[in-house]
Amino acid sequence: MLLFRDEEHVGRWCSARGLPIGGMMTPEQGWRLAHEWFKDRLKPDWRRYTPDETRSIFESIGLTGDFWKI
Amino acid sequence: MDVTATSTQKLDGDVRLYIMKEAAATGRVPQPPEIAAALGNAESEIHDALLRLAAGKVLILAPNDGRIWAAAPFCAVPSSFRVESNNVAYSAICIWDALGIAATLHQDSSVNAICGDCGAPMTLEVSDNALVRSEGVIHFGVPARSWWDNIGFT
Repeated sequence: MLLFRDEEHVGRWCSARGLPIGGMMTPEQGWRLAHEWFKDRLKPDWRRYTPDETRSIFESIGLTGDFWKI
Repeated sequence: MDVTATSTQKLDGDVRLYIMKEAAATGRVPQPPEIAAALGNAESEIHDALLRLAAGKVLILAPNDGRIWAAAPFCAVPSSFRVESNNVAYSAICIWDALGIAATLHQDSSVNAICGDCGAPMTLEVSDNALVRSEGVIHFGVPARSWWDNIGFT
């Protein structure tokens, strides 16, 4: 899960490793995902999200399609 | 649930919370001897708790030596994803976790990373729980269903 200057740099990085281009998102989407994922980590009763909860978070951020299926 | 299972769950929860709070306060992920001393448990008990937490995908252990590599979003070793918040420096294993440090702390934070391709420095900033400085694009190389197949690469 890396940060790149733009999509051209993503393509170059993937090409150099023989990998297909994966899932891309804007930093704003990344922040929303990080916020939902980590906002409660310092709470004593924190627990991992269930698969259904995870799917709901992905969808709320616009992360849809086969790449984001769990 | 029997008494043993309950006490095991409590220990795991205490270990997790101690790690998170200590990392949040200092930027340093505590390791087994320190956790054992802080919680008043034998190091073997902490080791077993860490194995359970790792099996539950709550943290990642370094191969072979039982030390914590990452307790997401905090990374125990220096990385190219650096976060500064309230004059404390943190490391993260990826850009998601770097932003996750700001989300965990609920504090204004600066994320200093590099372009994964060319190495150019890049900065994101979070203020009042919002992303206020942004550049570039985030790329996930591994499909969500396979993230834990090789979490180091992911």
